[in-house]
Amino acid sequence: MGSVALTAPLVEIRDAARRYIQGGALLDALQPTSCRVDAKARIAIMGPSGSGKSTLLHLMAGLDHPTSGTIEWPALGSFDDLRPTKVTMAFQSPALMEPLSVLENVELPLLLANDTAATHERAIAALAVFGLAELAAKLPEELSGGQAQRVGLARAIVSAPSLLLADEPTGQLDSATAEALLAALLDWAYAGGSAVVVATHDPEIARALNHIWRMDHGRLTLPVEAAAP
Amino acid sequence: MIALWLIGLAKARTLSLLGTIIGIAVTVALMAALGAFMQSSGAAMTAHAVAGLPIDWQIELVSGADPQAIRQAIGIAAALSRTAQVTYANVDGFEAANNGSVQVTGPGRVVGVDPTYFADFPGNFRQLVGGFGGVLIEQQTAANLHVVIGDAVTIHRMTGGDTQVKVDGVVDIPNADSLFQAVGAAAGAGPQAPPDNVLALPTALWHDLFDAQAKELPETVRQQVHARLDHSSLPTDPQAAFINVGDKGRNLELRVAGSALLANNLATALDTAREDALYARILFFFLGTPGAIVAILLTIAVAHSASVRRRREQALVRLRGGSTAQLVQLAGVEALALGLVGSLLGVALGEAVSRLLFGTGLFAISQLLWLGSVMAGGVLVSLLAVLVPAWRDARHLSIASARTPIGEERPHLWERTGVDFVLLVLAGIVYWRTAASGYQIVLAPEGVAAVSVDYWAFLAPVLLWLGAGLLTLRIALLTLERAQHSVGLVLRPVAGNLAFTIAAFLVRQRRRIALGVALTALAFAFGASTAIFNSTYDSQARVDAELTNGSDVTVTGTTAAPAGQVLDALRELPGVVAAVPLQHRFAYVGTDLQDLYGIDPATIERVATMSDAYFGNGDAAATLATLKGTPDGVLVSDETVSDFQLTLGDTINLRLQSAADHQYHPVPFRFIGVAREFPTAPHDSFLVANASYVAKATGNTMSEVVLMRVTGKPAIVRGAAIKIVAALPGMQVQDIGTAQQLVSSSLTAVDLGGLTRLELGYTLALIACGAGLVLALGVLDRRRTFAVLTALGAKPSQLRAFLWSEGVLIVGAGVLAGLVTGVLFAAVLVKLLAGVFDPPPDTLVVPWLYLSLLVGAACASVVVAVIAAAWYAAVSPIERLRTMN
Repeated sequence: MGSVALTAPLVEIRDAARRYIQGGALLDALQPTSCRVDAKARIAIMGPSGSGKSTLLHLMAGLDHPTSGTIEWPALGSFDDLRPTKVTMAFQSPALMEPLSVLENVELPLLLANDTAATHERAIAALAVFGLAELAAKLPEELSGGQAQRVGLARAIVSAPSLLLADEPTGQLDSATAEALLAALLDWAYAGGSAVVVATHDPEIARALNHIWRMDHGRLTLPVEAAAP
Repeated sequence: MIALWLIGLAKARTLSLLGTIIGIAVTVALMAALGAFMQSSGAAMTAHAVAGLPIDWQIELVSGADPQAIRQAIGIAAALSRTAQVTYANVDGFEAANNGSVQVTGPGRVVGVDPTYFADFPGNFRQLVGGFGGVLIEQQTAANLHVVIGDAVTIHRMTGGDTQVKVDGVVDIPNADSLFQAVGAAAGAGPQAPPDNVLALPTALWHDLFDAQAKELPETVRQQVHARLDHSSLPTDPQAAFINVGDKGRNLELRVAGSALLANNLATALDTAREDALYARILFFFLGTPGAIVAILLTIAVAHSASVRRRREQALVRLRGGSTAQLVQLAGVEALALGLVGSLLGVALGEAVSRLLFGTGLFAISQLLWLGSVMAGGVLVSLLAVLVPAWRDARHLSIASARTPIGEERPHLWERTGVDFVLLVLAGIVYWRTAASGYQIVLAPEGVAAVSVDYWAFLAPVLLWLGAGLLTLRIALLTLERAQHSVGLVLRPVAGNLAFTIAAFLVRQRRRIALGVALTALAFAFGASTAIFNSTYDSQARVDAELTNGSDVTVTGTTAAPAGQVLDALRELPGVVAAVPLQHRFAYVGTDLQDLYGIDPATIERVATMSDAYFGNGDAAATLATLKGTPDGVLVSDETVSDFQLTLGDTINLRLQSAADHQYHPVPFRFIGVAREFPTAPHDSFLVANASYVAKATGNTMSEVVLMRVTGKPAIVRGAAIKIVAALPGMQVQDIGTAQQLVSSSLTAVDLGGLTRLELGYTLALIACGAGLVLALGVLDRRRTFAVLTALGAKPSQLRAFLWSEGVLIVGAGVLAGLVTGVLFAAVLVKLLAGVFDPPPDTLVVPWLYLSLLVGAACASVVVAVIAAAWYAAVSPIERLRTMN
């Protein structure tokens, strides 16, 4: 972020690192990192595969815990309140529930949040953002890879989260469709005032966002003005 | 490579492989333990048949034969435990005079025995009053003559005039039919009734009195050698023992041809036991096989739960150039390894269970073939569960299809062709055919070594079971397919807002859910039918014992010392709920002396179970009501109706002994029905009448017997009753527990307790596995689904809602369908195995407590599965997703 935030950040990371044991060896997926995401931010995290982008997103979503350091969500309340409505994530693989229809998959976060008002309508609206309303009754196995990924995005936005984290959301799309999808996503984010963090290795996609963070071998390089305090 | 593959499998699919091994082990253990039980029960039946027999062989000497030579021949033909010589003489009658009156009996028999006979062959004479030494008079003869110890009895001999002896004791002859049987009677000759009047004398005295008659009228005197064989060398299997004893008997007959005739009582007893043993085998087959089939199906289901992963593994091997043959070879090695490990584990488990429950191991020589077959069966199950699907997949699946395993399948062939309905209709037809033949499925023709079994009859329950299982599957599939909204409504209490989403989730996996329902239903049906059958069996064994004993506790006196005189004291005993008097007299029907029971129809049911099967019209209440409304009414046996060509309403003149002159006088009765069985009554002919009418007609109001219904342990009341009657001569007190050990059927003598514990415990495990294991493995198979749910923010309670819903559906529908199938299956079993029951049960006895326990076990298994899933959910979903992507 270029300016000093007047409100509390959505996510604040201080010296957080994540280490895995993989094949019996230690793997530093994320080196000690500090950063923050403010409200309405548009951030692209760029880096090659295995650079730690997904790990950083998982930590921001509260899906994973750092091996050292801290993560806080000052503007969003306690950790337990983050999901399924305040912070949502669209995964690299769509991670749809295979026995549920597209509509039921998209409704699911609302039902998990006990937010039962007009769930059908809101789910259809979320699908419509990505031009998928007509696929509502289909099963995931009937979708193409790109369609499934967009359904995953629709599911991530249905609850109008304050922070949307998207892991390679255009990975399975051609460039034209990818641009259209990103445009729709950003339109939605502007309309709702949500912050968006996208992990991508596509420079075209990254350029469409306000800020680009780079990652390499688990190390995050921030633009000077976005460095953590 | 193969070792590496197996090690890799063990690491990657630990739980499902363990589940498959356990499934095979449990199947093998059950079948092996059943084999051990069959072995031990056969031995128990042989032992029971042999132990209850008063005389193994009765060898009747032809006039002029050398007793010493005959005894020698017997010793060569069979190893003997002991022998005795017994002599019989027919007499014209007995007479006694006392208190100014003279009583005379009809023809009778005088038996000559050595003093050692009573100890060597204890089942023939039961001491009532006095000792075994000297002159003994049979109790009914004593009652007819009105004599007691010390009184003189005149014997009207056929030659040599009358002679007089002094009575030293009164005895009962419980096995008179056998003791006085006509040895060597022509085939087809009717049964010979034992003599109505009997006197037993020491051998020396008998010879003094009857040697002359033996010379003059040899046809009126008989001489027998009674032998007890050495039972230690008898085969334990009833069929083998029957053949063994039959062979020995025929050997003896050859040796003594022309000089003696053999009554092979031991072979006759074993002849009955081998039929019972066959019934027992069929019973265990019917009760055990469904359990083994459920275990096999569960094993297949467990193995199937890993099918998705296996297909992916196959796809990877294919990608690296593996051929179909190599894929099948790897699966074959996996199946063989699982089968062998499961079988060995099953044998160890079966050995432990057999030793614990039956006190016998699996490794007897005669059991080895069975054990080998069972182990081979275990390996076969493994091949069926692992190799066959792997072979099918390897042949038909492309790499692409292996990676997209979830999808709607078209209905299976059995659904499209209605195999379930066909099976049920066939079951009905076979059952009807068996019913038409009077449920006679085991036939052991008397005296013939071969036994025949109507194996077709087995088809009825097998078809019913399979048909019911498939029908349950069809109904579950249809319900899930057509009633998604209703399923959502049902799930609402456990799933809240998520109910309809979960309903959709489950409906789209309806084949897996329906299979879980069907498996749970079959497991529950197995448990329910076993429990219902066992309860009905136990209840009937009790009814059988009660039929023999009369009630919980029975005090039996004599005409001279009736138990009715202490009725009030017996009623006051602690634990006695009701005490009701019962007259036990004798009456002549023509020349046939029959037992007559005088009852109060209004009160008899307070102390004795009046089963519908006891009466010719199949209605105990109606029969007792008719008797109550007809003071001079009498119930007679089928045989009497046939012998005397009686029709309902006929007047029958019975001769009853009058208290005034001790003579038998005609008394008119009205024939109102048929009694086939009655508490304390013998199996052959007897009469039942109103006690008040009998008392009025004979001038004797006393009741010889008192029946008591008690709470708590009958043996305690028996002990107290013995103290009350201690001073009264000839009084016997029996309780139902003692009677239960004496009931005649060798099948009911088998302690089903061990088998019951094995099967009921096994059912509990099956139910728990059926519901819990399928659920838990389902969770493992759907790890991705649960990881996604957790990643989306599902709370542990919401994750549990998915599992609760699945559990409620599987257990609820499974238990309901299982209960219906179980009751139906038990009803068919009870009908088909009517030969096991004596008398046949009026209704099924449903053990609700045990069934509740089964439902509890099913629910507990769901709880365990849910807890396991909650633990699973606590692991980071990202790690799960990462390892699965």
